[in-house]
Amino acid sequence: MKYAMFVGCTIPARLPAYETSTRAVLARLGVELVDLPFACCGNTVRGLDQDAYVFASARNLALADRAGLDVLTPCKCCFGNLRHALRFLSQDAGLRARIGRALESEGLALPEKVQVHHLLSVLFHEVGVQAIAAAVTAPRTGLKVAAHYGCHALRPSKVTQFDNPLAPTLFETLVRATGATAVDWPRRLDCCGDPLHDANPPLAGRLTQAKLDDARQNGADVLATACPYCQLRFADAQAGRTDPLPTILFPQLLGLAMGLHPGRLGLPG
Amino acid sequence: MSASSFRIAVYIALGLCALGLLWRLSAWLRVRIGPDARAIPFHRRLASALHGAFSFAFSRRLPGVLKAFLLDVLLQRRLFAEAKVRWLGHLLILLGFTALLLMHALAALLTQKLFKGYQPTLDPYLFLRNVFGAMAVAGIVLVIAGRRRAQRVAPTAHRLGDRVFVALLSIVMVSGFLLEAQKIASPAAFQRMVDEYFGEDISPEDLSALKAAWAVDYGVAFEDAAADPDPALLETGRELHKDACASCHSLPTSAFVSYPVSRVMGPAVRPLDDVDAAKWLWYLHVFACLLGLAVLPFTRLFHAISDPVSLLVNGAASSRPLSDAGRASRRALAIDACVRCGLCDTRCSVAPIARFMNNASLLPSHKLLSTFRFAREGRGRLRDGARYDRIAEGAFLCSSCGRCTERCPVGLGLDDLWTAQRDDLAAAGHPAAAKWVQSRTASEWADLLPAPPGEGPAVAPLSSDRRTFSPCVQCQTCTNVCPVVAHTAGAGDGVDLTPQKVMNLLRLGMVDLALGSRMVWDCATCYQCQEHCPEGIRVTDVMLELRQSAYRRLATVRDRRRPE
Repeated sequence: MKYAMFVGCTIPARLPAYETSTRAVLARLGVELVDLPFACCGNTVRGLDQDAYVFASARNLALADRAGLDVLTPCKCCFGNLRHALRFLSQDAGLRARIGRALESEGLALPEKVQVHHLLSVLFHEVGVQAIAAAVTAPRTGLKVAAHYGCHALRPSKVTQFDNPLAPTLFETLVRATGATAVDWPRRLDCCGDPLHDANPPLAGRLTQAKLDDARQNGADVLATACPYCQLRFADAQAGRTDPLPTILFPQLLGLAMGLHPGRLGLPG
Repeated sequence: MSASSFRIAVYIALGLCALGLLWRLSAWLRVRIGPDARAIPFHRRLASALHGAFSFAFSRRLPGVLKAFLLDVLLQRRLFAEAKVRWLGHLLILLGFTALLLMHALAALLTQKLFKGYQPTLDPYLFLRNVFGAMAVAGIVLVIAGRRRAQRVAPTAHRLGDRVFVALLSIVMVSGFLLEAQKIASPAAFQRMVDEYFGEDISPEDLSALKAAWAVDYGVAFEDAAADPDPALLETGRELHKDACASCHSLPTSAFVSYPVSRVMGPAVRPLDDVDAAKWLWYLHVFACLLGLAVLPFTRLFHAISDPVSLLVNGAASSRPLSDAGRASRRALAIDACVRCGLCDTRCSVAPIARFMNNASLLPSHKLLSTFRFAREGRGRLRDGARYDRIAEGAFLCSSCGRCTERCPVGLGLDDLWTAQRDDLAAAGHPAAAKWVQSRTASEWADLLPAPPGEGPAVAPLSSDRRTFSPCVQCQTCTNVCPVVAHTAGAGDGVDLTPQKVMNLLRLGMVDLALGSRMVWDCATCYQCQEHCPEGIRVTDVMLELRQSAYRRLATVRDRRRPE
């Protein structure tokens, strides 16, 4: 199991613990990560310039393709953007030609074989729940976890092919593998509010708060995420609160269950 | 040039340099970047700077400052980590240039007083001058080569003063070596020294013996030098040389750069003597040095002052955050401390997007200059500038990955500058597109954003194709699952249309009415609508495409004033 690690922009800048914990857990589970000179997935220009966005994604995919590796990303927005780019390229011949020319001027070729996976998909499908359960030495028994799916992994399912978009089970299954209990909460598939945060902060805040309230009402001790934007949004929305609902990145939860030292997971040790 | 006029020239250069320095240093307290910095008056920044400069030695900041001085200023570990070749080149220039300045340019003040019997034509000084000069030249070549390599990835911004410094430094180095080479081989220089040393007290026989020795051993290009001089004559000349000249003249081969140059010049030395080339080369060499000194504050050489200060301020800030006034000054300082090495541009996450969109304003080195120009030009003059649309595009397309800040060899707080720049632009009427759209209603935008010619399937394949939205039966499923619609509290939230209404506008051929709508721009892109649409319509993809169409059209709007 070997992947090109696509860490994106936000994780190194604002949530380095996500990268640290992902690398620590995957290394223990025998997944090898390769670093390539990746740049932005194109998220920043997605809603402004289609060609520029697809080019930004395609350039990264072309780098992985050239190295003969599939891409693994812990970020759900990068995941969605990269997968969408592959879809757009396969659907639109004109776009494909334009991006192909631009890649050529950078000494690259259109990506052909490369696949894009999210961290959770790799854990579930490639590493496997059994192998994960076997690696768990300090099960989080009794911990009630609300698993937050994140929009851009789940939808549109035709593009992301992550799990059943209406009744997914992948994340909860992984949570249970750590020995914790996955709580059922109606808003688990809702948006965290982050994409709206710059344009309409009050509205974004209500989206975030509705999710936090729902998780709390359904008995969650902690909210588990697997996307930097969601994680940061939940944390920022509760800044200053005396009784915040704790949020944890899934590889941190898994790492703790695997007996890794909190310091290696970017947690206060 | 007489000694007194030379001295006057030096004083003038020094005076200009001092005035320039004062002006440049004061900019660190004057230039205001970011709305928060505008609220801080000059005197508070002066007070904070003075307090910082004098109190750090007695505070918790001291260890951080000392560490920064050793590792960052002297050893330049940040540059080493990023670009080894340029680190080596920079170190060679720094050492070579400083050594030449102290040993050679300031010989009368330093070397002569410290070392008894100093003569520029004597070893080790003759040899060392060539060593230091060669170091500086090799350093310049390495740095330029490193820059060239970076330029292939992204075009670095530059200012006039950058090139002026490199040009002056090159002139100083080349003229210095040429001058030395000319003097080594010059018969006129030989004659002048003979006149000065012997006056009338040398016989014609002795003179021709001495010339024979200097032609062979020192490579002076006498016109009448025999190719194979009489051994006895040579012997006499060498004896004479030992008594008269050797105490001040080491063999010219020690000048391992200038001597080979003088061999290449060969017989051209004599015609050059006729036009007094040594004198002109000396003028050029000294004039370039003095000009460099006079304009130092306005050239890249200013970084010899601004970079250490910047690195030391970082060291001070590592133990305790700076005050608001300190942060404001640090932003202004960053503009001066940037040497436009371009390493940030090569690491920039959105550099591929900058190349694709052909907008260099996305690149950090360009953003730094535009931030500065903005601060200098003020806000009033920007309203009509198409240029500022490009600059704003660069500012708001930054993905905030922080690589530029992390990798900057002089440790500039670029992320803080970019935030300040975005705030400045927003305040001046150039906010992010999503914010700008909020200044008018959807129907106002419909009037302002007519379709540009040529807009068709290539740029808007979904919204220009009826098959995308004609299956819509207006069942409202999209609207019912939309979290933005669900969480809208009222008109104050601005959400005007619903997803199903947007689809309906497309069906009615009224796409212009959707472009500036809040529904399109406040869409959370959660894809609930698209996932749930019973007709399989790509509702969210259409929303994003509408934004893209609107963004293209927004670029044609010049008048950024809010409606009355």
